[in-house]
Amino acid sequence: MSKILQVKDLELSFHTFAGEVKAIRGVNFDLNKGETLAIVGESGSGKSVTTKSIMRLLPESSSEFKNGEIIFDGKDLTKLSEREMQKIRGKDISMIFQDPMTSLNPTMTIGKQIMEPILKHQKVSKDKARKVAIELLNMVGIPNAENRYKMYPHQFSGGQRQRIVIATALACNPQILIADEPTTALDVTIQAQILELMKDIQKKIDTSIIFITHDLGVVANVADRVAVMYGGMIVEIGTVDEIFYNPQHPYTWGLLSSMPSMDLNEEKLYAIPGTPPDLLNPPKGDAFALRSEYALKIDMEQPPPFFQVSDTHYAATWLLHPQAPQVEPPAGIIERMRTFPGSRYYEATGGRA
Amino acid sequence: MSDLLLEVKNLKQYFNEGKASEVRAIDDISFSINRGETFGLVGESGCGKSTTGRTIIRLYDATDGEVLFNGVNVQDKKTKAANKDFNRKMQMIFQDPYASLNPRMKVMDIIAEGIDVHGLANSKKERREKVISLLETVGLNREHAERYPHEFSGGQRQRIGIARALAVDPEFIIADEPISALDVSIQAQVVNLLKDLQEERGLTYLFIAHDLSMVKYISDRIGVMYYGKLVEMASADELYRNPMHAYTKSLLSAIPLPDPIYERSRVRTPYNPKDHNYGSDEHVEFREIAPEHFVLCSDKESEEMKKNHVPKES
Repeated sequence: MSKILQVKDLELSFHTFAGEVKAIRGVNFDLNKGETLAIVGESGSGKSVTTKSIMRLLPESSSEFKNGEIIFDGKDLTKLSEREMQKIRGKDISMIFQDPMTSLNPTMTIGKQIMEPILKHQKVSKDKARKVAIELLNMVGIPNAENRYKMYPHQFSGGQRQRIVIATALACNPQILIADEPTTALDVTIQAQILELMKDIQKKIDTSIIFITHDLGVVANVADRVAVMYGGMIVEIGTVDEIFYNPQHPYTWGLLSSMPSMDLNEEKLYAIPGTPPDLLNPPKGDAFALRSEYALKIDMEQPPPFFQVSDTHYAATWLLHPQAPQVEPPAGIIERMRTFPGSRYYEATGGRA
Repeated sequence: MSDLLLEVKNLKQYFNEGKASEVRAIDDISFSINRGETFGLVGESGCGKSTTGRTIIRLYDATDGEVLFNGVNVQDKKTKAANKDFNRKMQMIFQDPYASLNPRMKVMDIIAEGIDVHGLANSKKERREKVISLLETVGLNREHAERYPHEFSGGQRQRIGIARALAVDPEFIIADEPISALDVSIQAQVVNLLKDLQEERGLTYLFIAHDLSMVKYISDRIGVMYYGKLVEMASADELYRNPMHAYTKSLLSAIPLPDPIYERSRVRTPYNPKDHNYGSDEHVEFREIAPEHFVLCSDKESEEMKKNHVPKES
């Protein structure tokens, strides 16, 4: 698999009145061609900031790249000028935002908004661009596109607007599509339709997707690989099966445990105690240690490095150190691990129905 | 079980009634909630679930039908004192913790507003003590009382909203999507808090949401709404084990679960209201198919459902 994007040792800070907020504290990942990488984590974990820094959408005045590089197409995106970046945005890398109500311009017809990137990046006539726009609307499932491309955003429902945003993002056949919580504002039924649409389109145009969400159900549905972020760092990364059936980091355990399951009648939902770390003064050791019942002494002093679990699976927790004590994950997690060949709780007989 | 706290009878809420733009946001629904119970109301946006909550607490005047709270019709004209008493017993928690707290008021005053209106504190000291104990109840601490809403995270704000609702010692709380704006891990915290409070104070909830997995977890009984009508109502377990209405089935099939292997094989069943193919002489009404399990259906459909119903194994 060829790597289309590489993020290396990325560190980024915001300068605020209160001081320097270290929003991203050393993020590394690769994006392969044609895959979907999901980034999960709670608000403030740095997942949106990571993708916005790839798109260079953060305000120049208050944000600063402290270290690292973002390699795309042989170029380091962190070093490009605004003018060079404009040639990439919307053409090679495009983005879908969370709120379809605010990411469309209410005073422009949707046809015009879809044509905008086409006219900007490709040397085509307006007439041709209009044809492409109508094709795109058809592709994302807007009925009667020939007439509806003349309409304004308020004349569409939330789900339709998100389809239009997707059409705009796809207008130039981008190599990378970044979707920042694209379905969070939508109903389950509409969410299911949008996810199906994104998967279909990915197959058609072979684009890579970075999918940001905090909904693990959605992750299980769309992702090939998953990166779990916490406190401005990736704490665990692996294939979707590895993250869901053989998770290693206590934070991933907590996330998975706090989802209610449909068939179990649990008495009490597991909730990760406490609040996310203050990135004005990031903790010295493992950022999650203060909220973790599995924290070791060393967690308070030194941040854990990445330990390799398999070729594709890495986790940053001292629990994986050879000298660390063997701990018992929560019951629900052991249940998940039972089904995963290669995990220490795997039961060969316990196949899934 | 028959200790009814709230009864909704043939409630209708039409907007722009009689005009071409008439919207039947609630179209003749009936249900009741027992004391100490959590009733979940689910459905997609625009199905009328929030309108139902708002009509019950009388943010809207109903077009037709009755809402009986402790046997008294909410919509009736009442004396000022009776109205005040009603307002104290029924409280609401809103969806958006950012928009539902006044940014210019300190947390202390936000929570104490109800206490002041109802004269529940005799002195400044008592008022302060009440607020602090409420803050502690919802998992915040006394320092938070002197701060403004913008200094809090979404989950903390929702806790403030809950403390405000609890301040007047209500019997019944309408929670309108209280967790949909929050992160998964914070959602669990808030849901657990609501459950604990229910146990401690014997509260009754109407829990409105579109996230079915959380609704199942918190509710005793669930009603499913579609375009202003209640299409199915049953206990939470029964509804998930034996969904009967095509819309409920479709809704359940759309929920993504945190289980990649299951997700790869999950098939979504779309819902098309035309599939019912009701004839003009068929009477479509809310019928009891199994004990305590109601479905909006025609006579023919109800026979079919009764045949296919699998009773709970015990």
